[in-house]
Amino acid sequence: MLKRFQRAWLFALILITPAWGQGHKPATAVSESDPAAVERGQAQFKSSCGFCHGEDATGSRAPDLVRSSIVAHDEQGSLLAPTIRNGRPDQGMPAFPALSDKQVADIIAFLHHQAYEASHSAHVPGNYPVAKLLTGNAEAGKAFFLGDGGCSGCHSLDGDLKGIASRMNPIDLQQAIVYPNNSRAPKPTATVTLKDGTRYEGKILHQDEFRISIMAQDGWYRSFAVPDVTIAIHDPLEAHRALTSRYTDADIHNLFAFLEKAK
Amino acid sequence: MMKVVAATLLAAVVNLQVTIAADSANASLQTADLSKPLSKDWPTFNGDYSGRRFSELSQINQSNVKRLTLAWMSQFQTVGIKSTPLMVNGILYFTTPDNVWAADAHSGETIWHYYRPSQGDHIGNRGVGMYGDWLYFGTPDCHLVSLDAKTGNLRWDIELADPKAGYFATMAPLIVRDHVIVGVSGDVTDVPGFLASVDPVTGSVQWKWNSEPKPGEPGSETWPQGTDAVTHGGGMTWMTGTYDPGLNQLYWGIGNPNPVLNGDIRKGENLYTCSIVSLNPDTGKLLWHFQPSPHDTHDWDAVQTPVLVDDDYNGVHRKLLLQASRNGFFFVLDRTTGEHILTTPFVATNWSKGIDSRGQPIPNPAKEPKPDGVLVSPGSDGATNWMAPTFDPKSQLFLFSARRLWSLFYMTAEGKPEGWAGRDRNLWADSFLVGMDYKTGNIRWKHEMGKGEAVAGLLSTAGNLLFTADNANNLLALDPATGKTLWHAHVSAGMLTGPTTYELDGKQYLLTAVGSLLIAWTLAE
Repeated sequence: MLKRFQRAWLFALILITPAWGQGHKPATAVSESDPAAVERGQAQFKSSCGFCHGEDATGSRAPDLVRSSIVAHDEQGSLLAPTIRNGRPDQGMPAFPALSDKQVADIIAFLHHQAYEASHSAHVPGNYPVAKLLTGNAEAGKAFFLGDGGCSGCHSLDGDLKGIASRMNPIDLQQAIVYPNNSRAPKPTATVTLKDGTRYEGKILHQDEFRISIMAQDGWYRSFAVPDVTIAIHDPLEAHRALTSRYTDADIHNLFAFLEKAK
Repeated sequence: MMKVVAATLLAAVVNLQVTIAADSANASLQTADLSKPLSKDWPTFNGDYSGRRFSELSQINQSNVKRLTLAWMSQFQTVGIKSTPLMVNGILYFTTPDNVWAADAHSGETIWHYYRPSQGDHIGNRGVGMYGDWLYFGTPDCHLVSLDAKTGNLRWDIELADPKAGYFATMAPLIVRDHVIVGVSGDVTDVPGFLASVDPVTGSVQWKWNSEPKPGEPGSETWPQGTDAVTHGGGMTWMTGTYDPGLNQLYWGIGNPNPVLNGDIRKGENLYTCSIVSLNPDTGKLLWHFQPSPHDTHDWDAVQTPVLVDDDYNGVHRKLLLQASRNGFFFVLDRTTGEHILTTPFVATNWSKGIDSRGQPIPNPAKEPKPDGVLVSPGSDGATNWMAPTFDPKSQLFLFSARRLWSLFYMTAEGKPEGWAGRDRNLWADSFLVGMDYKTGNIRWKHEMGKGEAVAGLLSTAGNLLFTADNANNLLALDPATGKTLWHAHVSAGMLTGPTTYELDGKQYLLTAVGSLLIAWTLAE
């Protein structure tokens, strides 16, 4: 199977290679990182290619180009330009000799952009649109905030949460509602009591089953063997952890609508 | 192409030698040894074929483990070591992406270093396979290369799959008689997975098993008909499987389907993604399958080591297969037939509506990723993952690393989804070790490992010891029966692979990879 695949590729290269010598590689540079070129290419692709390959190039009557081998192996139009120019008559693809070099370069820029986007889609962007997240009911969110959720035990819209929706991206706000694991989130502290009664208190810098280290109230880094001391942990996010498994998705969307609209 | 031709020619030349290499008593590795219980050497990824990572060595044991001391420490100029080092006849073989080292197992001194720079995903490499005097190594550009173990010289180099299409190779090849069994990685693009068997001598492909059935084949009915959905594939084979020499059956965990977080264009169970499959190693023919995550939309590969355990239960001898799966469920199967025996969650999950008559969790469509976010346990990193589990025959406990992990899953694609089509955002995680009675799925003990996601593998030994590392850079020795800590050492970084053990000149060593350091421990004289 592998060998057959490699042989098919060799044929593809042989078929395409002569076209390079005929000046079919576009004279205009392919600029897939130029949004204007990608946008022009999208429009051109839609009118010239979309009927068969789908308007977004994900395939229709003709193959999906987003995950096509030719797009993956193309460099600056080396494979795509001749394919567009000459077509693939054996597979029913017509030639497009009338397109200008610039139009071909734009189409290629669009195809590379689509392939890049698909292969980098394991990501929720920071500017994720708020409209997609606003599916909840703000009134129900308010009721949860004041009631069932117990949020108002620690938070208030007039206090710590004042202007919260203006200070955070919507996607970050939704995450922080459930569990604020960003750098601004409050960190756990410990009170460490020695056998002689001396107490140290401060932010936890290291903790495992053997040692605990804190930045103590006297400004010194202090580290203790767990068996030698009594330790009380104060985790300001404990309520968030306890609430996590109790949330319904509707609770989260309602709370988000409540806080986002309180802008 | 030239490389393939060259490899074939070279293979013809060396063909005569292999017979000598594989049959000679002087050969570095007899493949038949991989079927024996693990003792002085560590000749394959999981030590032996069973995936138990249990060593018969007992010089280091509960009575003396507190006397463990540094034997040697060796720094390598590389990224963190994720591979499991092999140890054969006093020589260690280990890897990072693009790199293979042979080092003296007595001292950590480098014997040779092979470097092959490449394009492609450099996320990690899990080690080499060994056959006779030869090594097999997967590369970021999805090639399989064979090296001479004596010198590190290249024997041949073949392309397994097109790296430009998004394939790469990370897993440690498994040698079964005259087969080098290799899998592939890659799910950022929609490409189909496969498992291949390569001739150890010539590098030619003996068979290839595709993770997705062809139209009309059994299993094809679990994909939409009349669309290109099945060609989007997925089903990567990125972890080393296990093998039962008595049954001559291979066991392999298969990865997630594509698009990863969107199941709308691939309605159905999507066999054989997120499945455990058994294959005939001589033909690649599928013998049976079981699917831990039907129609997965959360990246829960079922690639976790399928561990092979035999027992006598109610007077019946059973040949079992155990898997703690990334989706939060533990499974016990009859490994001869694939018949289901037990399914039980080992963390609190919220994505399943129950267990069907075949023992497979039923996914709840309400917990598929959505544009406005869905709260799911576990997150895509899984309730467990590639970290090696172990089986301790004395306590009869299945021991593995687990996590409580909550995440918000977003489906972000507009139009037809391709690639991942979304992602989850982690909320919080903490990790623990599990000592599980595999007969019932009851958790006998938990040992908390700290906040975050543990990535260290496990090892158990006849010294009644369980070795691993916690999330705070401590190497640990525990009592496998109770999870109680017996020894620890704080080191400079986390352990990204599993500990191993071997014996040289009458002395047992514990080997731990910490960042890009190898640290070997032994008993103080």
